[in-house]
Amino acid sequence: MKLSRRATQIMLSTMTLILASTLVFLYIKSSSDQTSIYTESRDLIREIKQLNSQWDSEVLKARIALTHNYDPLVAPLTEMNRLWATLQQRGSQHRHEDPARWQAGQDAYRQAIDEKARLVDQFKSHNAVLRNSLAFLPTAEDDIQAQFLALTDAERLLQQGIATDTYDVLLSSLEFAQVTSDDKAADILVGLNTLAINKQSLPESFQVPVEILSKHIALILREQPLVNGLLERIAAVPLAERLDDLTNQLNQDQTASELLDQKYHRYLLVFSILLVALLLYLAIRLLRSFAEINRVNRALHVVNESLEQRVEERTRELKDAQSELMDSARQAGMAEIATNVLHNVGNVLNSVNISAELVTRKLRTSKALGLGKAMQLINEHRRDLGTFITEDEKGKLLPDYLNQLVEAIATEQQGLTEELAQLSKSVDHIKDIVSTQQSYAGASTLLEPVLISALMEDALRMNSGALSRHHVTVVKHYHDVPEIMADKHRLLLILVNLISNAKYAMSNLTDRTRQMTLTVIPLDDGTLQISIKDEGEGIPAQNMTRIFTHGFTTRKEGHGFGLHSCALAALEMKGSLTAHSDGPGKGALFTLLIPLDPVRT
Amino acid sequence: MSDATPRYVHRSSGVPGIAILFWLATCLPVMAAPLDEPLKPLPPIPQLDPATVELGRQLFNETQLSVNNTKSCASCHDLQTGGVDNRPFSLGFDGKPVALNTPTVFNASLNFKQFWNARVDTLEAQVEHVVTSPMEMGNDWKTVIRTLSALPHYQAAFRQIYPDGITPATVQNALATYERTLLTPNSRFDQYLLGNTDILTIEEKYGYQRFKEYGCIACHQGANIGGNMYQKFGVMDDYFKARGNPTEADLGRYLLTKDEEDRNVFKVPSLRNVAVTAPYFHDASAKTLEEAVDVMFKYQLGRIPSAEDKTLIVLFLKTLTGEWAGKPL
Repeated sequence: MKLSRRATQIMLSTMTLILASTLVFLYIKSSSDQTSIYTESRDLIREIKQLNSQWDSEVLKARIALTHNYDPLVAPLTEMNRLWATLQQRGSQHRHEDPARWQAGQDAYRQAIDEKARLVDQFKSHNAVLRNSLAFLPTAEDDIQAQFLALTDAERLLQQGIATDTYDVLLSSLEFAQVTSDDKAADILVGLNTLAINKQSLPESFQVPVEILSKHIALILREQPLVNGLLERIAAVPLAERLDDLTNQLNQDQTASELLDQKYHRYLLVFSILLVALLLYLAIRLLRSFAEINRVNRALHVVNESLEQRVEERTRELKDAQSELMDSARQAGMAEIATNVLHNVGNVLNSVNISAELVTRKLRTSKALGLGKAMQLINEHRRDLGTFITEDEKGKLLPDYLNQLVEAIATEQQGLTEELAQLSKSVDHIKDIVSTQQSYAGASTLLEPVLISALMEDALRMNSGALSRHHVTVVKHYHDVPEIMADKHRLLLILVNLISNAKYAMSNLTDRTRQMTLTVIPLDDGTLQISIKDEGEGIPAQNMTRIFTHGFTTRKEGHGFGLHSCALAALEMKGSLTAHSDGPGKGALFTLLIPLDPVRT
Repeated sequence: MSDATPRYVHRSSGVPGIAILFWLATCLPVMAAPLDEPLKPLPPIPQLDPATVELGRQLFNETQLSVNNTKSCASCHDLQTGGVDNRPFSLGFDGKPVALNTPTVFNASLNFKQFWNARVDTLEAQVEHVVTSPMEMGNDWKTVIRTLSALPHYQAAFRQIYPDGITPATVQNALATYERTLLTPNSRFDQYLLGNTDILTIEEKYGYQRFKEYGCIACHQGANIGGNMYQKFGVMDDYFKARGNPTEADLGRYLLTKDEEDRNVFKVPSLRNVAVTAPYFHDASAKTLEEAVDVMFKYQLGRIPSAEDKTLIVLFLKTLTGEWAGKPL
């Protein structure tokens, strides 16, 4: 189930990725800015073409000697080369239908411009000297004419023919500069030869200017056809055609790329429609499932509500049951407390009972009865009381007897008073037990200064009747213990219980003396150890673990609360109560450990 | 309050206005329109990246560009002596003279091509030829790059300017960039062309007129007064036959093209700073301007000038000396 969901997720994301990348691909393909690149490239070519025309016009200007500055014949080429470099950078961004053809077009252009540059450079050189010589011709002629003018008339007449010849060849040369033809060239050649012959017959001073003129005319004759030829060849360089060819290629490429763009546009459109349809379908599916979810939700809501009601009912029932349980628990607790109290009270009542019995017995055997007999003797001898006392045998004994009686009654009275004091102490203990049990509700402990040895004595005294009745010998090993802070009543409760238990444990002992050993030792770790050891019946191993549990007892008339409450009380005093026995018939040792907290003065 | 301020400004603006008018009136002769002549004033010095120019300057004076650490560009193109070393033939790295007289580096960027036979189109290519020439620096680029890369300050400077660091192209570009700034503005003739016509003496003006009349401007024209075309040395007469002792270098562009048309054809040199760049011609055959002018008249112009015209032309040529680093060359 989980695996299939994962697979579905992966499939879904893959499909989304494919759709998205298709969309992006189509978008990029259809929205390329090829058009603007083509336009920019065409603009560059147009600029190059304009510069080419400018170059041509500068060549023509130089040809007709409008300017002597040849910088303008260099500048266009530099600029054209710069633009061409830009165009080639751009060219790499184009999509070319036929890259080989585009390359060929570029090569053709390069070839054309190199050829044209070479021709223009040659033109510059030849044109410069040609123009210079042509410009010089009139001056040269003037120089010769000046020589003629310096001649005498007779000499001038003699040289007239030569002057005319010179003039003719000059004119022919100028004409030749305008209309360069073979005829004219032949004319000039003839003229130059004539001039060379004429020169021989001229005076020395004539020869130099004529020679200079001849040289310049010869130069014109040589350079003019060259310049004309160069101009024709420059004009024939198909630079503009090459550029047009490149423009045409760009146009075709653009058309093709636009067609391609259109195609991708169509694809994009179709794809978009498909996507929209898919989206619509998904939306409908989504709406449907939404409705389904709503329906299920509503049903669930209804079920939920009834469920809540049922839960509420159950909760109420449970609450009722719990309160009942709590009531019974409380009753049980109260019963336990009552049992506890009654047990403890029962223990003390034993002492009360014994005290009352003692008083009764003492009263019954009172010497006060002797006083009545003495008074009877006195009443019989009322008339002769004096004689009776002094002379009668019996009467003589009477005062001594009375005296003895007084002493005996006094002793008796003292014993009674002591016993009554013991009785009232026991009653006080009962009161304390009750009030202690009442304070159990809050589980509070009342710490007060306690002298352990005195407390031990109190506990023994409370059991003194039973101890004497059972002839139990008590051996005491009390070490020096300071007055400590402790819960006196809990401590007393424990001690009374343990002493009572020890006494019972030895009640069936006949073969040896009944001896109980009480030990009080302060331990090094700040605790006080009180132990009560008997020589009684002991504790079987199987009972060892149970003796402190509630309701455990081995005695017929026992309740099983004593040791339990003792252990609880020890815990409440932050102490512990432990039992040890070597086995049945080998006696038992109960050890109480409580914190040794000396009273601070 | 708000209208008080403009009134104050308006009233006071009259004074500077008059001052400007006065200044304009007095300065008018100085600010005359440039003359329209076949010779053109020097273009302004281009404002190029100062760091690149500085790097180019260091490279220009770097002797480690030569194979045995003896020659920098400045060894032959000493900027203190007109951008040349004034020797007939500069000495190469091996102490042997080279084949052609050293042309000045000043204003070289205005020439349409470089070298006497105009064999390269750009300053960058010119650097390439000189560094690797077995006659001049005798080095190769692998060694140059290794040598420069070992110098930390070049490493840092190149890395800062060029993403590629030290390569043949960047070394050439730095040098060419520096050389483009080596223009010598403010010659007296330039000031004259810019309209300050009083700067030339009457003789110098006559000299310029003769220069034009005799046809010197047929080739020496434009902004660099030459340097924009080829010309055959010996248009009117065979110069080399007259001089004798022909060398291979005399062939000029023929060495490149093997075209008979190009025999003895050279680039027309610029005449700027010509007074301080003797000796003259590719073969250093003319020791003085006068000698050079004589040769030009005889073999290029085919004319015989008067002695006076020649003196005037030489006077004119001396006005073409510009300034470098604020001082006349």
